[in-house]
Amino acid sequence: MSRVIIAKTGLDGHWRGTLLVSRALRDAGFEVIMLGMARGADIVSAAVDEDADLVGLNVGGRVEVVERILDDLAVAAPGVAVFAGGVVPPWVRRRLEARGVEVYPPGSKLADIVAAARRLTRRSPSTASEPDETPQDRDE
Amino acid sequence: MTDDRRTASGIPVKGHYGPDDVPLSAREALAAGPGRTPFLRGAYEGMYRTKPWRIFQLSGFGNPADERERLLFLLRQGEGGIIMEHDRNTADHLYNVDHPEVVARREDVGLTGAVIIGVRDYETILEGIPIQDIYTHPGGAVVQHAPFALACFWTVAERRGIDLHRLAGTGQSDFFLTYVGCITKQQIPPRAGLRLNGDITEFCLDHLPRWVPVSIAGYNGADSGLSAPDELATVFATAVEYLDALAERGRHEPQELSHKVGGVNFRVGMDFFEDIAKLRAARKMWAELLERRYGIRDEKARQLRIHVVTAGSALTYQQPFNNIARGTIMALASVLGGVQSLGVACYDEALSIPSEHAHQMSVRIQQILQHETGIDAVADPLGGSYYLEALTSELEARAWESFDEIEQQGGFIEALDSGWLHRRAARRQSEQWDEVESNSRLIVGVNCHEIDETPFEIDGFQGTTDAWDQAMARLADVRSSRDGAAARRALHELERVCRSEENIMVPMMQAVDADVTLGEIGDVFRDVWGDWEPPIRP
Repeated sequence: MSRVIIAKTGLDGHWRGTLLVSRALRDAGFEVIMLGMARGADIVSAAVDEDADLVGLNVGGRVEVVERILDDLAVAAPGVAVFAGGVVPPWVRRRLEARGVEVYPPGSKLADIVAAARRLTRRSPSTASEPDETPQDRDE
Repeated sequence: MTDDRRTASGIPVKGHYGPDDVPLSAREALAAGPGRTPFLRGAYEGMYRTKPWRIFQLSGFGNPADERERLLFLLRQGEGGIIMEHDRNTADHLYNVDHPEVVARREDVGLTGAVIIGVRDYETILEGIPIQDIYTHPGGAVVQHAPFALACFWTVAERRGIDLHRLAGTGQSDFFLTYVGCITKQQIPPRAGLRLNGDITEFCLDHLPRWVPVSIAGYNGADSGLSAPDELATVFATAVEYLDALAERGRHEPQELSHKVGGVNFRVGMDFFEDIAKLRAARKMWAELLERRYGIRDEKARQLRIHVVTAGSALTYQQPFNNIARGTIMALASVLGGVQSLGVACYDEALSIPSEHAHQMSVRIQQILQHETGIDAVADPLGGSYYLEALTSELEARAWESFDEIEQQGGFIEALDSGWLHRRAARRQSEQWDEVESNSRLIVGVNCHEIDETPFEIDGFQGTTDAWDQAMARLADVRSSRDGAAARRALHELERVCRSEENIMVPMMQAVDADVTLGEIGDVFRDVWGDWEPPIRP
């Protein structure tokens, strides 16, 4: 069973989105670990300790905070895929997508999010065969 | 479309309605007219003719000077009062900007409201704003934050030589935002929150006759998923907790208190008639509840005043300009339902904090309704509609059922602490979203009429980027320039009173006057009351 960590990057506790997404992923057979409002360091260590296949970031703040988490994850847990959702204006969405992070803004279908989770977890370290599809490489 | 049509809360709707659909109790309530119990038709006799609804928008971001600029902008656009938004990262959790949780997300600081360390920041924001002449919500939406926010604002007034008796405005201290919709990292438990709200209310009874001390915000329950009947029920179940707790203190009778507790907030969403009916039912329920439960017969004591915020969750990320139409429709429903003040969620809400333009549009929507449509001429203009009266009565009946369920849970606080409310909200939230995914509920731009949006894209408001650095500098300045001994004394006194049964607003006013900072107050609260353990940790 693939493991997904769902975390909120900011200190804004609105939970509608994370709960809906977490439930949909659980219903689809994923094991979901909800970290709530977590610091970058906590997200990174959870990804390592829990041997996560995927990290879902609920973005409620600035892109710089998200980018710091992505940088730290790339170093500490390079095989773990990341996707994001939340209040993400188009320019932030493009910036995250440019480094390989799929973004699901408000109104995204849960079916699409689940499909993305399935696709992204197929690329976990043990099964990844095409290096050009890993998030770090897409950055270039 | 099938023949099975229902309102957003699931009430079956027929193809047309007639006189037999209007219950006798509704006919009696209709006959009473606006401004008379049970207030079905409006809180005041003249309604908007004598008192237009107040245009009242949430606003704030960045540094204190940025927030002041936006508030002045909105006042110039024609706002009737100001609502000061605080930085969520610090205010909700009572953290100073050097708290490790905040430092870890320092770029976020100032995104959702101004960073306010203490009374000096309030002075900066309010510079040039005639607070004695306008209506103010100075922040404190979150329960543990409210005493600090109110004390800062009132202290600025005192320093300006303004008698607190003159000040008109509202607090919030909202249990729905704090414990349901936007659960914080650390928060005092609800019972401690109830005590703080009681202290604020009693302080206002003594010193601020024109102030609404706390405002129960059903909005935050409804936007978390609660249905219209549940929103009505939970708002009044909260009010009853407040009144019972205050009456138990023995200083005031429920009749003196009910008017203070009767300034509430509801969410109006896209189900046009159901939400009009909800506001009408709310006034009637409150008047009846106060008479039935407390024997209050005085009319003014039973008059519910309503602030509405239009539903942020109804606004879409896709095709954001469509949200101007949605805002207009929700504003129209609010006005037809009878409001005293109104905030229209801004069209860019799903993308960002409001831009200046989005804010201006929210004000203009309301001004167009006030000046161009004539709907302000007649109170409760839809009153007597067979459909609306049937719907109002049905909502009321369902809301009382929900109210009884909450009572069976042991009351609102128990229903909150046990997670019963959260589960109820979350279940309906899932159901609502399932309807969208299965296309049984259509949302333009989301599951129908989707387009390539690139040509109409908006950037979203980006705010300022130096709020954390600036706040760190101000914090250092406050610490080095204040009378340290006086601040320590004030904090000790605050802690002593927190542990006693005295009113905390007295030492809170002294503490903010001594330049005690937000995070220091948080430390005292955490020492005294500890943290609430939320029933869900999403």
